[in-house]
Amino acid sequence: MDVRVDYYAALGLKPHATPHEIRTAYRILVRRLHPDARGESNGNERFLRVQAAYEVLRDPGQRQAYDRQREAEGLAYRPALVIEHTLSYAALPLMEEEQMVYALVRVTPNPEIELKRIPFNLCLVVDRSTSMQGIRLQRVKEAVNTIIDGLEDRDVFSLVTFGDRAQVVIEARSQLDKASAKAQVRAIHSAGGTEILHGLWAGLTEVDRWRSADTASHLILLTDGQTYGDEEECIAEAQAAGERQITITTIGIGQDWNDQLMDEIARRSGGTSHYIDSASRVTTSFRSCIHTLSTIFARDMVLHLRSAEGVQIHKVYRVSPYMESLDPRPGILAPGHLDADRPLSLMFQCLVRTQRPGKQRVAEFLLEATVPSAAARSQQVRHEIEVEVVDGLELTGPPPPHMVSILGKLAIFEMQEKTMQDLAAGELEQASHRLETMATRLLSIGENELAKAALLEAGRLSRTGSLSPEGRKRIRYGTRGLSMLPKEVHGDQM
Amino acid sequence: MIKCSSCGKRHPENTLFCDECGAYLQAEEHKRTAPLAIDDVDWTEADLGVTGALDENNTQPVVVRLSIADSGREIEFPVSKEITLGRLDAASATFPDVDLTPDNGLEKGVSRRHARITRKASELYLEDLGSVNGTYLNGKRLTPYLPHALKDEDEVRLSRILMHVHFA
Repeated sequence: MDVRVDYYAALGLKPHATPHEIRTAYRILVRRLHPDARGESNGNERFLRVQAAYEVLRDPGQRQAYDRQREAEGLAYRPALVIEHTLSYAALPLMEEEQMVYALVRVTPNPEIELKRIPFNLCLVVDRSTSMQGIRLQRVKEAVNTIIDGLEDRDVFSLVTFGDRAQVVIEARSQLDKASAKAQVRAIHSAGGTEILHGLWAGLTEVDRWRSADTASHLILLTDGQTYGDEEECIAEAQAAGERQITITTIGIGQDWNDQLMDEIARRSGGTSHYIDSASRVTTSFRSCIHTLSTIFARDMVLHLRSAEGVQIHKVYRVSPYMESLDPRPGILAPGHLDADRPLSLMFQCLVRTQRPGKQRVAEFLLEATVPSAAARSQQVRHEIEVEVVDGLELTGPPPPHMVSILGKLAIFEMQEKTMQDLAAGELEQASHRLETMATRLLSIGENELAKAALLEAGRLSRTGSLSPEGRKRIRYGTRGLSMLPKEVHGDQM
Repeated sequence: MIKCSSCGKRHPENTLFCDECGAYLQAEEHKRTAPLAIDDVDWTEADLGVTGALDENNTQPVVVRLSIADSGREIEFPVSKEITLGRLDAASATFPDVDLTPDNGLEKGVSRRHARITRKASELYLEDLGSVNGTYLNGKRLTPYLPHALKDEDEVRLSRILMHVHFA
């Protein structure tokens, strides 16, 4: 064995290749390179290299020793993304019935790779309808100015306002003249209705002009009102933007905007939606958007999922940085960006039929991502989830506490989603009952404010038959943001 | 199959939470805090101190470090309003900020909601939350639900778990 030789490359493979892939690659190469097949001898050297590589990699023990020595010599391939997982139970009893297995999967940046901020290609699309008049618009202008102040020369920035029509206030360009840009911001005045589609069109046109693989293309849409009749088109635009790697953050101020539409626009593009109850939070909200943009570690993440035989992936949730239900059916998840300072955590709920004692595979996945800070921009990491099956009735110990705590919050989140479905289906009594149960669960985890809001809305629902727009938003965005860590505690075993 | 005791929905084996009503399904009846034999009860007098007279606007978090004597574990956290101490028990959906389960909390008689550290202005207070086996501040048992001022280098005992408080 010669650790200086990359045996994987000799077979045309990546270091995470499966035994099956190694065998297949070897067979194909042998057929092509064998001296007998070629009838000449100068291909011989290549043939010997392939032979030597396969001798080592075919044997799991030797392969492991080889990988370890490569690692020790610093020759190993280091993926830019680290994947780890925790299971609800380390071992499962052998039984005929299906069992639920929870796997919490965490994706984090490899700490050895230093984050390089990529330039932004940012467009702000701001509602200037008459309802924004006064303090709201004033606060928004101040917030826009703080963004302008934080721009670097290489960043591309544009500003669009919309009422009945859209207006490009600042055209997309880099090396912005900050003073004249601010003068233009000052001149914005409120007028007209809320035609979101026009704003989106104009904003996306600006972003498209500078779109490239080396910039973070992003659009922030801020509104305080409802748009009428163009919802479907807005969603289609957002979907198309997502396909062009333009993400959209939506921010709703006050109570009168359409939360479902804003959520959908953000979700389709791979972005997030936010609710702020008062205009004074606009600056904070913009800042956190910019912070997220400047700490993007990986983009365009795609997770190919494959469940093992006898396993059904029941549900998948994103649990950090925010809560979201994901659809596992197509076998592909697109979790979007990975921030440098906030890990991506996914909770997989799998139904497993145990087969025999010993290790049993649950699922396998391949994560593809673009990592601008890494030497190799395009990264692939493979990960496997296995569970130990034991011939006995007892489970080993309780599930990890942090997992139980996350699942408890997910259960509350799920109840919130069901409440909204009940409401949409007109099942008012059911919805009100659910809100009450939700309030109890919230109280017991110390989320008193949110519990109060849920109780209040449950009462209102049984009296008036509907939720208040404000309460509805508070509950939806509140449950989604239930913090995944015990609040304020970050000490641990030392 | 297991059945949710609160709403009756059926779930696959080893499911942890009911997706219908949010109840924890692996209820562990035996995990109740058992009263321990009381050895030295010495109730302390209430000392409420001056609350909130000074620095009402001081919202800088005070960082507190707890060193647990037996397990050697150190926990550090900022207190901006309130921190609860106890034992995580998902069955009753109790998720204290500081979970003492890893320090043998159950065996040592820690209640699920045992005590809390609250903050008024820049002062910190320790309050027993009606725990079964009591909270002790420098060897004296606290009257339940009566906050006592907490000082740097104080010795706190939750049932049989002894810890030292350090302000950072």
